[in-house]
Amino acid sequence: MSARARKWTSLAAIALVFAGLYLRALDAPPPAAFVPPRSAPQPAASKPFFKPQLLPNSSTLSVHSATAVELSDGRLRAFWYGGTREGASDVAIYTSVYSPVTGSWEPERMLVSREPAERRLQRYLRKLGNPVAGRDAAGRVWLYYVSVSVGGWAGSAINAMVSPDEGETWSAPRRLIASPFFNISTLVKGPPLRLADGTVALPVYHEFLGKFGELLRLDGEGRVVGKTRLSWGSSSLQPVIVPRSESEAVGFMRYAGDPPGRVLMIRTGDAGARWTAPVKTALPNPNSAVASVLLAGGPLVLVFNNAEENREELALALSADFGDTWRVARGLEGEALPPRAPVPEYSYPWIMQDRSGDVHVLYTWGRSRIKHAVFNRAWLEGGR
Amino acid sequence: MIATTSGLLGCALLCLALIATALHLDRFPALARYAVAMVAIVALFTPVDGLSVLAYVRGVTGDLSVATLVLAAGACVSRLSGRTLIAPRESLALLRVVAGAGVFLYPFALGWTPFDPYALGYGSVAFITVLLLVTLAAWRAGLNLVVLVVLVASLAWLAGLYESRNLWDYLIDPLAAIYAVVRLSAGEVGKVFPRRQS
Repeated sequence: MSARARKWTSLAAIALVFAGLYLRALDAPPPAAFVPPRSAPQPAASKPFFKPQLLPNSSTLSVHSATAVELSDGRLRAFWYGGTREGASDVAIYTSVYSPVTGSWEPERMLVSREPAERRLQRYLRKLGNPVAGRDAAGRVWLYYVSVSVGGWAGSAINAMVSPDEGETWSAPRRLIASPFFNISTLVKGPPLRLADGTVALPVYHEFLGKFGELLRLDGEGRVVGKTRLSWGSSSLQPVIVPRSESEAVGFMRYAGDPPGRVLMIRTGDAGARWTAPVKTALPNPNSAVASVLLAGGPLVLVFNNAEENREELALALSADFGDTWRVARGLEGEALPPRAPVPEYSYPWIMQDRSGDVHVLYTWGRSRIKHAVFNRAWLEGGR
Repeated sequence: MIATTSGLLGCALLCLALIATALHLDRFPALARYAVAMVAIVALFTPVDGLSVLAYVRGVTGDLSVATLVLAAGACVSRLSGRTLIAPRESLALLRVVAGAGVFLYPFALGWTPFDPYALGYGSVAFITVLLLVTLAAWRAGLNLVVLVVLVASLAWLAGLYESRNLWDYLIDPLAAIYAVVRLSAGEVGKVFPRRQS
C-alpha cells in the first residue's frame, strides 16, 4: 500500500471510530429525576415509643459504620465492619437481620472478608472499610464497600455486590472506577438513591489531597456511567442526599475545615445536575458523619453529634422547612443519657424509615458495639 | 472476566517492560533475552498467598491505559529484539499529548475546582469533539502513534473492555502521564544543561 493510500485509510478509520463514539455519546443516559420518598402511613395518634438495643455483635473487638436495608417481608438487614481494630487485616463485613415482630436481632454472620474478596477481585487488598446498602429498581439489594490496597483510607476504592434474594446469596464483587488517579480515594457512607430511569445515584467522597463529595450514577450492572461533583476543595466529605421531589433534594456533609465546625448543606433544584456550594448550617459538627431522612409527610430528620469538639453526644434534629431551620428534638446518647459506653464515642449514624412508618437509627456505640434505636414520630416530635 | 483478564495482561506487559529496561536486556545475547523474559512471565503469574504477582501490581496500578500499554510494548520490543519500534518523533509527540492531557485532567479531577474533566469521559459530545480535533491534527502531521492510541482506546471503550466506562481511563493513566512529564522535563533540562563531550 502506498503512503498516500495508507494516509487515506487511516482517515477512514478515524471517521468510523469517531462515528461510533458519537453514537455512544448520543446513547448515553439523559439526566434522570429522583424518586421521591414514599408516603408511608403513620397513625396520627399513635403512642410514643422508643426502643434502643445493642446488636449481638460479639465476635469482634471493634465495630464501625453500620448500614441497613428493609427486606421485602418488613425485616431489617444491617451490615457493618468489624475486626480487632479499624484498618486491621482481619476486618470483615458482618450482617444480621432484625425482626420487628420479635424486636430482636439474629446472631451476626461474616459476609465479606479480605482474602476471598481479593481473589474474586483479582487484586491485592490490605483492608476493608465502610459498607453501604441499598435497593435498585428491580428490588435487588446492593452492598457497596470500601477496600484499600495501598496506604490509608485515602487509598480507598469501592466494590459492589448484589443479592437477588434479600441478602441470602451474593454476586462476586465488582470494582467501581470513580477516579482517574489510580482509582484511589473514593469512599462511601451515605445511602444510595434510586433514580426514575432505574439507575442508582451513589453519594461518595474523596480523601486524597482534597476532601470533597460526588454523586456517582450506576447502571443496572453497578457500573459507573456518570458522576456529578457535590463540592470541592478540602473540607467536605461523607455526603448524604435526601430528595423531596423529582427535582429537589438537599444534601448534608461532614465538615473537616477550620472552626467553627458546622454540618454542611447543599441543595439542587434540577435533579442533581447542579448543586449549590456548601453552606454551614446552625448545627455543630466535630468532623463526624451525619445521617438524614425525610419522614413520610413529615419533617426532615438529621442525626448528628451535638458538639463541636467530640462525638460524645448524639442527637436528632428536625426541620419543617427542608433544612432552612432546625430544632434539636431528642438526644440518643450523651452525659444525661446512661448507660455510657466505656469509650464515650457515638458516631457514624444511619437512619431510615420503614414501611410502617417507624424510624430506625443505627450507630457505632463506643467503637465496640453497633446500637439500634427504633422509635415512632410521636416520640420524636414529643421531645424538647 | 474480560476486564480482569485484560487488566492482568496489561500489568504483565508493563512489568515485562520494566524488567527488560532495568536489566538492559538488549545487551544480552538473543537466547538469554528470551529466556529472561520467559522466566519473568512465569514469575509474574506465580501465585503468592493465593494471588499472582500481577494481582498485587494491579491492586496498586489498576487497569492500564492504551498509552501505557503502547509505550510498554514499544519498550519490550526494543529491549527484546534490539529494534526500535517507535520512532523518536512519534514517541515525543505521544509524550507531549499524554503530558498535556494529564496536566489538564488530574489536578481538576482531584478536586481543585468545581470543574471535573473526568466526568466528560462518560460520553460528552464536547470531549469527543476535542479528541477528534487532536486526532485529526495528529493525522495531518503524520503522527501515527497518537492516532493509533486514540483509535485503539476508543475501540476498547466502545467494546467495554475495562472495568471503567470512562473514556479517559482507556486513553491515559497516571503512570503514562508522570512518565511523559518526567521524560519531557528531562529533555528540556538536557537542552539547558547539555552533557560535556569527554
